[in-house]
Amino acid sequence: MRQARADEYAEFAAARAGHLYRSACLLTAGDTHLAEDLVQETFGRLYVRWGRVSRVGNPAGYAQTVLTRTFLAHQRRRSSRERATDVFPDLPGAGDGDASLRLTLLDALARLPAKDRAVVVLRYWEDRSVEETADVMNVSSAAVRTRCSRALGRLRELLGEDLTEYAGT
Amino acid sequence: MPENQHQEPFEERLSAALHETGGGFDADRSALVAGGRARGRRALTRRRAGVLGGVAGVALVGVGGAMFLPQGNSDGSDVSAAATGAASRPSASAAASAPAPVSGDTLLDRLKELLPEGEFSREEARGTADEPGPYASLVHDDGRGAAAITVGFDRVEPGGAQVRQLTRCPDETFVPYDDCSSTRLSDGSLLRLLKGYEYPDKRVDTKYWSADLVTAEGQHVSVGEWNAPAQKGAPVSRAEPPLSAEQLEEVVTAEVWRRVVDAIPETPEPAGGAPTADLPPAASGEDVGRTLAGLLPEGLDVVRKGDPEGDFAYVVVDDGRGESLVQVNVQHGMGDIAGELYTDGETLPDGTRVAVRQGNGDDRVAGVLMWTADTLRPGEDGFRVVISAFNNGAAHAEPSRATPALTVDQLREMALSPEWDELR
Repeated sequence: MRQARADEYAEFAAARAGHLYRSACLLTAGDTHLAEDLVQETFGRLYVRWGRVSRVGNPAGYAQTVLTRTFLAHQRRRSSRERATDVFPDLPGAGDGDASLRLTLLDALARLPAKDRAVVVLRYWEDRSVEETADVMNVSSAAVRTRCSRALGRLRELLGEDLTEYAGT
Repeated sequence: MPENQHQEPFEERLSAALHETGGGFDADRSALVAGGRARGRRALTRRRAGVLGGVAGVALVGVGGAMFLPQGNSDGSDVSAAATGAASRPSASAAASAPAPVSGDTLLDRLKELLPEGEFSREEARGTADEPGPYASLVHDDGRGAAAITVGFDRVEPGGAQVRQLTRCPDETFVPYDDCSSTRLSDGSLLRLLKGYEYPDKRVDTKYWSADLVTAEGQHVSVGEWNAPAQKGAPVSRAEPPLSAEQLEEVVTAEVWRRVVDAIPETPEPAGGAPTADLPPAASGEDVGRTLAGLLPEGLDVVRKGDPEGDFAYVVVDDGRGESLVQVNVQHGMGDIAGELYTDGETLPDGTRVAVRQGNGDDRVAGVLMWTADTLRPGEDGFRVVISAFNNGAAHAEPSRATPALTVDQLREMALSPEWDELR
């Protein structure tokens, strides 16, 4: 029985690792080392709670929630001793896509406060509703709306209104 | 998704740009999984030892140490070699006796020889001497749509749990797929052919088909293919990935790959065994369930109970107006994230933090409500009791009633009951 649950966990983690890592890379604005760390921490927490996570609820959604909260907790801890990054994040030689787009968008994300970035990632990468985003972040819907509109305004400034050339479609 | 129809053009473009950008990142997935599991085990060990502080913290250590395995693009591997966090450098003696290294270019050449006619692009590879291990990736176009194809390699312990995980068909509850076969070949190798999806929730149509071969000697070869030129962030280019299951089998079983695995430098044996997932030691599930049942208001029939498990319990109640799932989590060591959990909550005179939330209960089932009372007792042990009630009777089920059977005030009262303190 326990082995079966361990197998379930391993299958789930293997299936979600890629997506969680990509989410983490956006949350960290391209800090791939931190992203790896956050994903491992997320999996560690899921491991501890797997019995319960697997039985009730939506494990994939739960994993995303844990990732976001882990990221926010991490930011909160280090905010006292670090300023937001002003340098371009360290980008891996990752596969495809337009490299200039990655730099620009990641750089813009890096200039957002962590919570605003989390809102943007949840809303526009995860496609979560305002209410869902509020649940994940443990804040009110109103707070999400405020952060979201502020973040969008800032991203418009940084990236320009016309993202069409980046949209890839 | 639900609000997409309200999005402005800028938001749509931002979403597309995020997907484009996010899709460009990939990591060694099996190392992430193994590293996470190692952390989970360490957390359980610390809990058992009664060391509660900082369990939930982000430990910024050992990231590099765990990332030595081959690109896990295509596998479900669960590699205990990384799980201990042990040093991953090859030992000098083992490295000296390893076969000659195989370069990334050679891997690409061999892969192309095994694939059908077509155009190749976006070629990337690491050789056996490279960290974190060999893999090759390219985009293949047979004239009917460009498709990403990868091959990755590592070594697993013959007969071990990872072999089973790599070669057994997954539980469809967690990993939906269209087809899967798991067979033993005449030479004793195990082969799994899996036709699945890039996203387990199938949010986009990107299919991910894979073949995992584990030989009797523990050589693991993993081939994956997509019906798009990238794993993610690229539109689907064709209905299905280019290689049939038979072709995948042919590629993954090619003899040449076994020599590649042999050329990977040996890593030191991980310390300790591979314990299976264990239960958190905190409160017993039976106690949690009994306490929960004892606190339910009058007039509710308990129609089902969950098997007690860890620090979690649930009941399904019915007040005559439909089933309602009620679940409770009793956790220790949660003090360090109190700031996140109770931002909008109140603090009682004794220092107990309380947050009440009324939100959606399920991302995928419309109309499911989840009402929650979340409490954190003051004290070093970070003792948290969270009770939630749903307006459906099972996870992912359609709503069975308009609202949960318990009001938020009732949930709050239950979560704050001194009965829970017996479980600290």
